[in-house]
Amino acid sequence: MLQNPYISVIINAIIAILFIIVTSLALASLARLIAKLFKATRIQQENTFAGYLFASPWIVGFLIFVVVPLGFSLYWSFTDFRIASKEPINWIGLDNYIRLLTADSSFRASIINTLYLTFLGLPLEMAVALFLAVMLNQKMKGERVFRMAFYLPVILGFNTAVLLCWRLMLNGGTGIINQLIRAVVNAVPLIGWIERALIYVQELFSAFFLGISNQSFTLFNRVLEAGLPAANRVPLWVESPLWSKMSVVLLIVWGCGTMMLIFLAGLNNIPKDYHEAAQVDGAGAWRRFWKISFPLLSPYIFYNLIVGMIAMLQIFEPIFVLYRDNQPLISSAISMVYYLWNSTFRQFEIGYGSAISWLILIIILVVTLIQFWMQKRWVNYDLY
Amino acid sequence: MRQLWHILKRVFLYIFLTGATVMMAFPLFWMISSSLKTVQETNSAGIVWFPPHPTLQAYIEIFRNEIFLRSYFNSIFYTTLALVGTLASIAVVAYAFSRINWPGRNIVFFLMLSTMMIPAQALLVPQYVFFNKLDWINTFNPLIIPGYFAGGAAMVFLLRQSMSQIPKEMDESAVMDGASHIQIFWEIILPLVKAPMATIATLLFVGLWSSLLVPIMYLQTVDLYTLPIYISTLYNINLTVQPWPTIMAAAVLTTVPLMVVFFFAQRYILDSVVISGMK
Repeated sequence: MLQNPYISVIINAIIAILFIIVTSLALASLARLIAKLFKATRIQQENTFAGYLFASPWIVGFLIFVVVPLGFSLYWSFTDFRIASKEPINWIGLDNYIRLLTADSSFRASIINTLYLTFLGLPLEMAVALFLAVMLNQKMKGERVFRMAFYLPVILGFNTAVLLCWRLMLNGGTGIINQLIRAVVNAVPLIGWIERALIYVQELFSAFFLGISNQSFTLFNRVLEAGLPAANRVPLWVESPLWSKMSVVLLIVWGCGTMMLIFLAGLNNIPKDYHEAAQVDGAGAWRRFWKISFPLLSPYIFYNLIVGMIAMLQIFEPIFVLYRDNQPLISSAISMVYYLWNSTFRQFEIGYGSAISWLILIIILVVTLIQFWMQKRWVNYDLY
Repeated sequence: MRQLWHILKRVFLYIFLTGATVMMAFPLFWMISSSLKTVQETNSAGIVWFPPHPTLQAYIEIFRNEIFLRSYFNSIFYTTLALVGTLASIAVVAYAFSRINWPGRNIVFFLMLSTMMIPAQALLVPQYVFFNKLDWINTFNPLIIPGYFAGGAAMVFLLRQSMSQIPKEMDESAVMDGASHIQIFWEIILPLVKAPMATIATLLFVGLWSSLLVPIMYLQTVDLYTLPIYISTLYNINLTVQPWPTIMAAAVLTTVPLMVVFFFAQRYILDSVVISGMK
């Protein structure tokens, strides 16, 4: 009816606001009526009315955008629903889930890639965040400026524009990162050895994970037999399946600002006299960190671990910008959400996509529950 | 001696932190520097830290590009419209959870907190089908309207925490004077939570401005592209890849609003990110 997309969305927004007002009034009146039936006092009735009036935008949204969609997607995950086709929806039982878990190599690859990010990227990110936080926690001038600088990547973080800048920087031949590595390696031969050793370890690690997802370890054996890479080797960030995930890890570590702020808050909470007492007893800074700060930080480590793992399971933008449709590479970097996007919005397999969503949801819940169960063994709540 | 050691430690600390700052900010510098280069310089085998003869050619090209300008407008338009409604509804709902005593409040609040466990991606597929039924594909509606229902439980939680800390006497005396909840909300509570509102507005802005997954699902015609979608098409190995200076010029112009907002809001954000513990 209306061709102008801007005017039409404004009209729709106004309709939505009117809808919210009407449903809120209806819900609130209903709540007051029920309160009246339960013989509540006049003030209680008023509060019931006001409470439901103010809260119902969320309640209505929760029903429309969360409860009903989750219900439908659970149902569709047992069907062969395809949005483009006119054919009726058929109930196919657990077929989608069975196909996902046993026959779908892309989905398996996406889970294994997530494991790589969780086992390598997350510890690195947390270590860097903790290190920066400890460095910043020294009561000095200009601390705020540094804090701002370290948080900046979170703000820019996953914007496509910044990701493309990383793509430029990570170019194998002419990218600035590899050029810097070359320059440093040429200047200091010792660093060259360290660099080659790191490349070797990383490629072995990566080949191992690729081996699991391809169910064939020939690549791993080849890397293992080739031994230490040649002297002029540089990382092939976005050009080799052995490195595609490492580039994402680099991006993740770069964006550690949120975790750093949380660690910083934790460090601020540790009473000063703990450290002073230990210092009087002659404990050095290193020992004080491991014996005092680290255990008392464990609730914050736990929090970052949970949030970080959930974030790893939901990663999408870096994969999309760096590797979309990059045929030999995408399977080495594909994430669960990228795969979900690909099968739902390119293949229009709604039933299959729903099954993927439910599996992601279940994986996140299980991982979080395991974390909460394990925390009793190592998280220290003495301060709280 | 001890004094000297102390000074030395400080010097090392500052050197280290400055180095870390340079590394953190480097992509930004590289983006700006590359946008001023020629194509040869971006692909050169030697390091060109900063082009010897900076050229604005890439910016001239990108400003002549109608699709880019249109995407820029679309991004501003959709971000503003979504931001205003989301912020308003979050404030209203946070008020209900902090300043009014109503039966069922704790249950509803617990429900809201538990939705934080549901990854947004799990809802994408059914929502897509739902919006498809409403004929909302290729409109901005799916990007904007859901936010109007207080989208973002974490944000509601953050604001509720701030509102709860305001002493009860503030509104009790207003109730004595016969003020309604709408008056209390608007005239007493809202002015007291300006700082957390600024934080939430910034975080919402950053999220909306950079959002890619949801816009790319619904906006399929070039006319409706937002900036992240448009920029992602500049580098697509199946189509022609644009020259790097052009891509970087577009990238710089995309990040400018983020930088400006962050610069003005950093004093609110850096403190309250810790409280809320999220991006």
